[in-house]
Amino acid sequence: MEWLKNFYESFIFVYGCTMLLMYAILAFLSLRGILRYNRSQSYVDYTQLLDSPLAPGISIIAPAFNEGVTIISNVRSLLTLMYPKFEVIIINDGSTDDTLEKLINEFELVEVDFAYNERIKSQPVKRVFKSINTVYDKLLVIDKVNGKSKADASNAGINAATYDLFLCTDVDSILEKDTLLRMVKPFMDEEHEKIKAVGEPCPECGYVHFEEDSTKVIASGATLRMVNSCEVDEGVITRVRPPRNWLPRFQEMEYIRAYVLGKMGWSVINCVPNVSGGLGLFDKEVAIKAGGYDGQSFAEDMDIVTRMCTYMIDNKLKYAVRYIPTSQCWTEGPPNLKVFSRQRTRWGRGLAEIITTHRKVLFNPRYKRLGLIVLPYNLLFEFLAPIIEFTGIITYIYLIATGQINWQYATILLGFVYLYAVMITTLAIWWDHITFHYYKTWKEVIGLALMAFIEPLIYHPLIVFFALRGYYFFLTGKKHSWGNMQRQGFGKKKTANA
Amino acid sequence: MYRILVIEDDEVMPKIIERILHKEAYHLDHVVNGKEALQKLEETNYGYDLIITDIMMPYANGFEVLSRVKNRKEGKPIAVIIVSNAGNEDMILEGFKLGADDFLKKPVIPGELLIRVKRLLMRYQ
Amino acid sequence: METVFDFFMSIVDRFRYAPLVIQIAVTFTFIAVTLTAIAYLSILINRYRSYQREKKLAKLNPLIDDLLTEHILMNEALYNEETVEPVVPLEVFDKPVFSKKWARQALINRLTMYRDNVQGAMGEQLRYVYLQLGLDKDSLKKLKSSRWDHKIQALAELTNMDVPLADVIILPLTNSRNRELRATARHAYIKLSKNEPFKFFDVATEPLLRWDQIELFRIITTSDRIAIPNFAQWITYSSNKSIVSFCLKLVEHYQQLSAVPAVTKLLDTRDHYLRANAINCLGKLKIESVEDKLISMYDSQPHNCQVEILKAIGRISSGKHVDFLRQEFLHSTDFEIRKHAAKSLINNQWAAEALVQELVETATRENKLILKHCMNPLIKF
Repeated sequence: MEWLKNFYESFIFVYGCTMLLMYAILAFLSLRGILRYNRSQSYVDYTQLLDSPLAPGISIIAPAFNEGVTIISNVRSLLTLMYPKFEVIIINDGSTDDTLEKLINEFELVEVDFAYNERIKSQPVKRVFKSINTVYDKLLVIDKVNGKSKADASNAGINAATYDLFLCTDVDSILEKDTLLRMVKPFMDEEHEKIKAVGEPCPECGYVHFEEDSTKVIASGATLRMVNSCEVDEGVITRVRPPRNWLPRFQEMEYIRAYVLGKMGWSVINCVPNVSGGLGLFDKEVAIKAGGYDGQSFAEDMDIVTRMCTYMIDNKLKYAVRYIPTSQCWTEGPPNLKVFSRQRTRWGRGLAEIITTHRKVLFNPRYKRLGLIVLPYNLLFEFLAPIIEFTGIITYIYLIATGQINWQYATILLGFVYLYAVMITTLAIWWDHITFHYYKTWKEVIGLALMAFIEPLIYHPLIVFFALRGYYFFLTGKKHSWGNMQRQGFGKKKTANA
Repeated sequence: MYRILVIEDDEVMPKIIERILHKEAYHLDHVVNGKEALQKLEETNYGYDLIITDIMMPYANGFEVLSRVKNRKEGKPIAVIIVSNAGNEDMILEGFKLGADDFLKKPVIPGELLIRVKRLLMRYQ
Repeated sequence: METVFDFFMSIVDRFRYAPLVIQIAVTFTFIAVTLTAIAYLSILINRYRSYQREKKLAKLNPLIDDLLTEHILMNEALYNEETVEPVVPLEVFDKPVFSKKWARQALINRLTMYRDNVQGAMGEQLRYVYLQLGLDKDSLKKLKSSRWDHKIQALAELTNMDVPLADVIILPLTNSRNRELRATARHAYIKLSKNEPFKFFDVATEPLLRWDQIELFRIITTSDRIAIPNFAQWITYSSNKSIVSFCLKLVEHYQQLSAVPAVTKLLDTRDHYLRANAINCLGKLKIESVEDKLISMYDSQPHNCQVEILKAIGRISSGKHVDFLRQEFLHSTDFEIRKHAAKSLINNQWAAEALVQELVETATRENKLILKHCMNPLIKF
């Protein structure tokens, strides 16, 4: 027993220190990335892409399920993004409301004979529409049988996409005007279409064989924020505000930490684990070859990125996944506990699933940073953290109950972990503030930053609980109701007050 | 007196256009995006003789304004000049297909803009 | 006093004899609190500063606008293309505020913005203002800064204002280790160098990234002072593949028929990406004479080159090879190949009306769909 106790204590100590150290390293890396990005902002002229015949084309893929309330303004908003060469593909995923009718009427759509090539399996596509009005010639609407998941609808969109890159988003998310310009840049900052000769001419065919030698950027992502208390006018953000309601407000803080500090830091060492399902730009060929989205998955966004990376490594191709620190997408966070718990339980379950489905890659030196850094990190510090925290609390309670606790040391340790957590969050908000002043007043920034002090006491326990619930459902294989999140609708000039 | 609507989300360009055209007795209105432009057009019952518009703007882009103006059945026709720094060939072609009367790429030569405006107004008399 | 000191000492003592875990915890708690405090302070200070800056600029910019409007925009002598002597009386800028660095920078930024919008004589006048007020000295000073982003900013300003730079200043920068600086310096060199703007094509060993190509392409195609050389020389001799493929795009842009023999030679290159680019270029130039060669090489090509060949035949639209297209359309197993064959058939429709009609009537369901897809004017691709 004594032996077990010692082992547990030293394990927790090492585990805790490593985790805190990881956060410190991430904070440092992301600061470097952000400063570099910021400096480049002073001279990079994104608008020059606008008149360039060399700009790569992008297909925007946005599935819609019963979005009748907001569909028109949101599609309009997508159609007016700044980019010279793009199309907008709306997938009506078997909506039962008037989503499709509204689209047809507003954008003067007619059914067309479309040579749809089903390279990734999805539920059948019923009809394809284009507009007879030249103004809307960027728009393509697909009507398909409901596949019960965003993944399935996205796959249909990928099959119909024309261009080599596709942007995956939600139709109700609001994108900044310059999103495509900024997100495509990482793809153009690596050398592409480079090959190298391998050895002497082949004795069989007489040719010198070549292999790919370019680092291909296979995906890029950017920061997401909460739209909940922002002012939105017909699909355009007119004023950014941190959410007033406490739950979305915690989420805004969490998102800033996860994106600005987490993913941005990982991006600097090319170890991005996941490109958010809310906004990501992908290389179409690689996505298709990797098998597209998995309609069964609970974490289809992380799953596809992991599979794309695996595909690249299996084929001995060099790749990169990049993040930019600027906020490009505003999405609606779950406004109440019920929806929130469903979302987080799903995330927890998804994470457990990722770890098991990709166990072949985990700790496999053949998969280099994917197998030795990205997935192990997710296993040890994302997946295991809630479990270890939970056992920690149990241990504390046990120690208190049996009177073995050294109150002084316990307080010091708890205080340390608490203040360290506060520091990391505060740093994230600071980094975000260095990137751009999203909020208009200093009160809003400080108001958000102060949430860091109560987060570990209120929000964090919730997340741990929901994650554990997700793991439990994963183990028991419980059927999970998908829960199409109820949209609040920010159509006309009104503050979506969550 | 001719009435001209300038649709442009840039900060400096409207000032320049306003100055270039001020000598002639033009009445200039300036809006900053497609939505305001369409509103303004509705309000005045399309009471303009000429529209100078950018292409890429929030809410509704220049093409949309253009097609709305050109597809109007009743009322007198309105001339439209596109002034934009985004001008790859496809876009210019699309603009003309939708009925744009002229296309100017930034940076513009002031005299050229003036002459083209005058000529179009004459033609649409 | 004694007691405070004693109390302090007792804490130090307790810290010293505490277990390692506690020592680490206490130390890092200290660091965490400090950093958190710094973060708050820094956010607030930064807020205050940018607020001040915006306030100052909100006052200054209208002032600059007024001056420029009065002396340049209202001057009708500047409405045409011919250059005229400087007309702006410099005294009007003789304000105390312009002795400050930030105000001069604001003026430079404003002038640049104006120059992005107007050219001709008016653009020239903006340049005169920049030069006569000695703002180029500010830019040159930034060029000597040790920070690369300042150097880039300086180069951008000087390029925008067409200020010639000596090769000794700019050439070393084109070999800088910093990628962004290197790219900007190349652009500045092309724009500002009087003798041989394309000289660095000969010496560049580092690849041109796609972003660089976009910037270069814009600079080359929008500056009218640059004499366009025959790009065939680099297509034939350059060992830098990214430069060759970039030159192909320039050949296409300038419809440079004199480069066609060099491009045709590239069809034999072993790099299939470059080969695809060459086929693409020939198709866009509509070179009818290479069609036979393209078709004869078709079978031995990888997928990307086959697609490009099909597209090229559609673009050239000579009507001579509809049978080949029909063959591919009917017999290829690859969806994409069939789609491109169909598309090119439609592009050759003037010579194959009956054939297309026949295909529509007899094709399989999927092939019919492909044909209809390609024939529909609403679908572009």
